[in-house]
Amino acid sequence: MHRYKKALCVLATAAVAASSFCMYGCAADEQSTKVTLRVANWEEYIDLGEWDDEEMIDIDNAFADDPSEGVFGANSMVDDFVEWFNSTHDYEIEVEYSTFGTNEDLYNRLSLGDVYDLVCPSDYMIMKLLDEDAIEPYSEAFFDESTDENYYINGVSKYIDDIFVDYDWNKYAACYMWGTTGFVYNPLLVDVDDVSSCNILQNGDYFKQVTIKDNVRDAYFATLSIIYNDELLGIPSGDAGTEQRSALLNDTSNEAIAAAEDMLKNIKENVYSFETDSGKADMVTGKVLANYQWSGDAVYIMDEADSDELNPTELWYSVPDECTNLWFDGWVMLKRGIDGDERRKEAAEAFVNFLSRPDNAVRNMYYIGYTSAIADDMIYDYMDWNYGFVFDPSDEEYFDEELTEVYEYDLSYFFGDGYTLYVDAATLELGEGVHSTTAQLGLEDYGNDITYTVYSGGNIDRGRQLFGQYPTANVIDRSVVMLDFGDKLANINQMWIHVRCLDLLDFDPVVIGVVAAIVAVLIAAILLYRFRYRIFIKKYRPRKGYARVDMI
Amino acid sequence: MKLRFNRKQLCIPYAAFLILFVIAPLFVILYYAFTNGEGQFTFDNLVSFFSSTNTIGTLIYSFALAITTTAVCIVIAYPTAYILARSNFKKKYVLLLLFIMPMWINFTLRITALKEILTAIEGNIAAYPFLNSVIGMTYDFLPFMILPLYTSLLKLDKNLMEAAQDLGASKIRVFLRVTLPLSVPGIISGITMVLLPSMTNYVVLDMLYNSTYIMGSLIGSYFNAYDWNNGSMISLILLVIIFFVTLITNRFSDKDDNGGREVIL
Repeated sequence: MHRYKKALCVLATAAVAASSFCMYGCAADEQSTKVTLRVANWEEYIDLGEWDDEEMIDIDNAFADDPSEGVFGANSMVDDFVEWFNSTHDYEIEVEYSTFGTNEDLYNRLSLGDVYDLVCPSDYMIMKLLDEDAIEPYSEAFFDESTDENYYINGVSKYIDDIFVDYDWNKYAACYMWGTTGFVYNPLLVDVDDVSSCNILQNGDYFKQVTIKDNVRDAYFATLSIIYNDELLGIPSGDAGTEQRSALLNDTSNEAIAAAEDMLKNIKENVYSFETDSGKADMVTGKVLANYQWSGDAVYIMDEADSDELNPTELWYSVPDECTNLWFDGWVMLKRGIDGDERRKEAAEAFVNFLSRPDNAVRNMYYIGYTSAIADDMIYDYMDWNYGFVFDPSDEEYFDEELTEVYEYDLSYFFGDGYTLYVDAATLELGEGVHSTTAQLGLEDYGNDITYTVYSGGNIDRGRQLFGQYPTANVIDRSVVMLDFGDKLANINQMWIHVRCLDLLDFDPVVIGVVAAIVAVLIAAILLYRFRYRIFIKKYRPRKGYARVDMI
Repeated sequence: MKLRFNRKQLCIPYAAFLILFVIAPLFVILYYAFTNGEGQFTFDNLVSFFSSTNTIGTLIYSFALAITTTAVCIVIAYPTAYILARSNFKKKYVLLLLFIMPMWINFTLRITALKEILTAIEGNIAAYPFLNSVIGMTYDFLPFMILPLYTSLLKLDKNLMEAAQDLGASKIRVFLRVTLPLSVPGIISGITMVLLPSMTNYVVLDMLYNSTYIMGSLIGSYFNAYDWNNGSMISLILLVIIFFVTLITNRFSDKDDNGGREVIL
């Protein structure tokens, strides 16, 4: 027995020694040659690869060896980046990739001392981090448009860039994905007039059939748009109204917070749930009729519902008439992570540029359903491949001679002048001011002599996937960037707690009194019962003629 | 070289674990609970807990939910455990296995499945948040109630019951005067294992669409707003409450009964 123990001990010692030696050896080795890039991104927010063969995106890929190969995600984006970086630079990197679930989660981790070099928070969190001077600005070289490899600055949409310049984020943040907020809904069961306003959240006709996001910012935004409904609808379109609109929806005055609290209490009673992630599945399975959602997830939901095997449903996306929350997620480098290390910074910037390379942007868009900030011909081709109208009769799978109504979807605000896309008019709700002409669109290219009714211009407020990915100009016009709550955060969170918690004041004082009295009586009864011998015990008095004997 | 461990040395791994993951975090909670955002000592967090009708309301709601769950669990678990323990049924281990088996599956998966079942029964499950939460938690914690009851009933001396019957007690009387009092330790350890976790198990509420906060979610909402101080204070108060509940229940429990935690199938 003892011999075994001895052997075991020697073995254990050897193992410990060996492992510590190895750890020391490896660590020393890495420090001299490898740079570790610590990246934190949202969950499910990057292409993880392993696509099926039939998922290949059949568009010209200028970055592949053979452009006709199309876009395909064989490996995960991060692995591809490491491979590409290590083969083009004179030092090696490795990426430590981690994910977070909410901006608050990320912030808490940062304040607890986790160190990351490159993170992807949303607009307001970028503002908060900027206020705290935690963000490392991008280098001059990153903005050098003459370098072809600077895919971000060469590719980013002017529309996005202008907004980032307006808010002074452009030196610190590189936009990754962006979008709007609105309702995904089932057009067969929800009235268009109801879903055109956030008021559907407290509309009794949809009692327990609509969901809202379980986070205070989105809930507060939707609530403010109900409260300021009249004012918002009265604001003229165009730049003049933007400031007014922004002021109303970023109102964090005490009166606004109090009004929002009352309204959110109504909403809480009326909605199906405050959901963090379950809304997607509930919408697809038909448990709810409408779901307040971010545009990227809305696209995902519509795709899922279309391809649902049990019961395919056609869902639509509606942007409320009052306004929509224009949001961005952007890559920022953190000072504490980069820590003056030039190579690390270079690697971080290369990562952003790699993600911004048009073929990679397409891969990410395909994989996660959100809309990239990059405006390149390849992205446009991808949109055309996805949603473009098919005029070619030889394309048997998609050509349908019955379809003769086409909408000329204007993407020029994002991609630049002249970028319009012909899409099936049935996938959009043609609103006010849409005009129509007739034309033979496929004759020249495909010899297709059908005369099409071509709609263009006007307002589009509801539609399917394309509308979710790229809102129309009239939607952009009423979009508002929601700023950080700043020092009002504590008040607004308190408001949220008031909404979510059971409040004693909501009950009748009489009821509370009665319940409290019953509980008090019960406790008293239990105590009396427990100590009944001590309290009620009768002194033992011997009968006449008998003496008391104490027993030991 | 002779390898010898005395008892103290064998404790070292556990002690290290205890200090690192139990004692040290407790001090961190204490520190945050009694400081404000600037790190100065204050009782404000304590005062704000007891001066808000919301936090007290949440406390009451959590208790109401937990007590209802525990009561439902006892009502279901006692007859089950009784039948399992007293019957001569040969396949009773299979039956017991059926009750234990759900514990092998992750509870979020079980709740997801439960959601579908409830939807099939109730239609729109969002209309009955309290009921659903109780059902969900009962589903989740029932084995923790059955096991201790089962062991304490199994240990009962049959002779006592036979003696009571011989002396002329009716079956009901035997149960009320002999079986029930002797199974109190099992009931108590079942209560501790159900009541306390169900006060903070907010995941079940989230998944079953109860949008009212209980203690667990209240703490989470403070941490989400980067308010570590108030969140820690609530955690601390919860800890104190749990401490007192355990103190009370321990008075009743049998000293050499380990609450069914020894059950091995």
